[in-house]
Amino acid sequence: MTTLRSQAGFKPTRGAHAAGKMFRFGALPIILLICIILFQFGNPRFLSLANTTNMVQQGVFLMLIAFGQMLVLIAGGFDLSVGSVVALTSVVSAKAMVAISLAFPEAPYLATAAGFATMLFVGFLAGLINGLGVAVLKVNAFIVTLATTSVYKGLTLVISDGLEVSDLPHDFVYGIGSGFMSGVPISVLFALPALAMIYVLVHRMKFGRYVYAIGSNIKSAVVAGVDTNRYLILCYVICATITAFSGWLLTARVSSGEPLLGGEFPLDSIAAAVIGGCSLRGGEGTVFGVFMGVVFVTVLGNGMDLLRIGSNYQMIVLGVVLVGAVLLDRYRAAGARH
Amino acid sequence: MSSCQEPEGREAFASLSHASKFYGGYAALKDVSLDLHRGEIHMLLGENGAGKSTLVSLLVGTNRLDEGQRFLRGKPCPDLTPLEARASGVNAVLQDFSLAPSLTVAENYALGRETTRGGILAKGAMRGQAQAAIARLGLDLDPDARVDTLTRAEQQLLEIVRALGGRPGALILDEPTATLSHEETERLFEAIVALKRADWAILYISHRMEEIRRLGDVVTILRDGRRTGCHRLSEIDNEQMIAEMVGRTMATFYPEIVRQSGATALEVVGLTAGDKLRNATIEVCFGEIVGVGGLVGCGKAELARAIFGLEPLSQGTIRLAGEEITIPTPKAMLERGLVYLPQDRRGEALALNRSIEENLTLEVLGQAEAGSHGLVRAKFLDQLVQSLIVRLKISPAEPRQAVQELSGGNQQKVVLGRALSRPRSVYVFDEPTAGIDVGARLDFYNQLQALCHDGAAILLVTSDLQELVHLSHRVYVMHEGTSVVELQREEISEDAVVAYAFGEQLKKIVA
Repeated sequence: MTTLRSQAGFKPTRGAHAAGKMFRFGALPIILLICIILFQFGNPRFLSLANTTNMVQQGVFLMLIAFGQMLVLIAGGFDLSVGSVVALTSVVSAKAMVAISLAFPEAPYLATAAGFATMLFVGFLAGLINGLGVAVLKVNAFIVTLATTSVYKGLTLVISDGLEVSDLPHDFVYGIGSGFMSGVPISVLFALPALAMIYVLVHRMKFGRYVYAIGSNIKSAVVAGVDTNRYLILCYVICATITAFSGWLLTARVSSGEPLLGGEFPLDSIAAAVIGGCSLRGGEGTVFGVFMGVVFVTVLGNGMDLLRIGSNYQMIVLGVVLVGAVLLDRYRAAGARH
Repeated sequence: MSSCQEPEGREAFASLSHASKFYGGYAALKDVSLDLHRGEIHMLLGENGAGKSTLVSLLVGTNRLDEGQRFLRGKPCPDLTPLEARASGVNAVLQDFSLAPSLTVAENYALGRETTRGGILAKGAMRGQAQAAIARLGLDLDPDARVDTLTRAEQQLLEIVRALGGRPGALILDEPTATLSHEETERLFEAIVALKRADWAILYISHRMEEIRRLGDVVTILRDGRRTGCHRLSEIDNEQMIAEMVGRTMATFYPEIVRQSGATALEVVGLTAGDKLRNATIEVCFGEIVGVGGLVGCGKAELARAIFGLEPLSQGTIRLAGEEITIPTPKAMLERGLVYLPQDRRGEALALNRSIEENLTLEVLGQAEAGSHGLVRAKFLDQLVQSLIVRLKISPAEPRQAVQELSGGNQQKVVLGRALSRPRSVYVFDEPTAGIDVGARLDFYNQLQALCHDGAAILLVTSDLQELVHLSHRVYVMHEGTSVVELQREEISEDAVVAYAFGEQLKKIVA
């Protein structure tokens, strides 16, 4: 009896639900398509092989960071420190690589490997500090990561004296940085396993289920016996580590350790994730959605470049798009409540 | 259907005539008429999802009317806004509170109708008005307290005080007593009766039979968005009301649950935690239902929370199947087979924007059969979810539906389903039937019966006296943080529980 009644009652809700889902995944591809058509119209070089490759090569750094950001957003927090983690990684791993290649000039791969290990260490540590602040000290994620942004930025400048670190190993710069393998940038080949790992983590593993539960309602996760601190810390560690990885690849791309690298990433990664369907209230977001969000932000930037729209104007556009995405998110949340 | 009409047919204060409200193709309310008369308490009865809230939303102007007509003070109002409704004297206390948490009691009371002198807020005057309104209801609320420092019951009372401060006319109350103590409920009832005498029209939503009997003059019963009955309460018995509400007759409301004799499952001695629990001692055996009763704030909720490790202990011991648990945590208790179902479903038990499936399976993910190497075995989880949905009659039977879209009763089923997702030996229920309809309540009692039959130990913390008295094999009554008495089956009665709940002093007066 109850069953019959409620089922009848939920048919429209289910319809609305489906519509909301379609909107979530449906609107973004359509807007993206419109942008692509407009940009192609404005500059026929837009969809050329050279420019497409260029977009992929540029977009992969944001893709990695946005995937990390997504994890933290799903858990109900966010990470403003991704930009300074990129800079810190760039400088520290560059210093390590320079030192190792001076010490062992006959083993070029050793330097790159040392850089990789240093990157992992920096990312892990930076994320651990963020995670401990949020989970154990229970300070708001905004404050914690704003504070660590300043700390990591300061550290970067202290370590580098504000100067770029050059003379990186040749293989690192010309292989990982600008090399190609069967037409695909090597940096992209490096990034793919990391992106796949995040997908498996979020959508195929217990980890993902727990993180969604924590972000949706941390109290209910505690009552369900989830070790919330552990998973929260892990989210920040993974986010910072994949960000460091991105910073390391970016260092290869720009061929030096740059203390001012990555300043755009906090805004860009949160924008891409939210445009892709993550909610700032936590508990929502998918890998596919964030993927689309990053593609959108990248296409928007590149297209505007080709249309010779200055970067100052681009910043304005991105800000407006972000507010639009947040409004959309609120609209969706209101739709889900009614 | 005119059995509920006033004999003299005088004009209603507010009324709906053949009102319908559609969401997409679905009729949340279909062809429903209702007349609120001055000087009359009109009860609205129906299960969750029957259309009660929709009906109220039409009266207070938060929803558009799709078909039919709406009258206020005799005037048709096809496009009513909440502001207009309030201005014409429709005052409502709904379940979603509309208080501003960071403002004080007095500021909230004056919210939207502030007194000003030359554009400056007259704070003293407003504080005085608030104080007077609180005093009229005989309540003990500090006008200067911030609302977020009040308990839920106090916030509820403030909502009522505020509604009464509006233009006199009609008062709509949506299950106002759900969070109130016995004493507060009594005060509220007195206030409602006084309003009736002052010629207010009152619409009171409830599914508690005793409230309906005690207060109501007229009752309208809804089912599936339609009106199934409208009667003067003197002309209908409970049996018929329930039949009209659920569409079937209910032979016996509370199932007879046979007590199995088992060993001691849970032993709590001298438990002290926080500032609300002092020296509580209880014992639960396998195969029995032990009830815990007492007033709101007596520490019974804290007892349940402390056992599960949600309140830091300062003293006392907890033994689970003989093993002493020195530092209880939810994780440790779950691993040892004790599960706790929180009172605040939405706040503490459910990941609201996640699916039924994710909510049901959260506690089994750590089990070996749910997957290895951290991966999730989708097939195992699908089967588990299907079986729980069927067993508990969760509706819609749609694993991917977000739980925030379910009715209260079905949300409660999801919480219960999660508890049943693994074999457990001890169940701690905190207000398990609060805010759920009669049908869902019966389903829950049947699950309780099955659990007890299978030898589980059940601790039932409840403010529902009838539930406590009819389901428990033994009852502990708590007063000011302490378990003051243990009642054996033959000693359990509503009177005994109430007497002990009010403490020694009152018991002496009664005796």
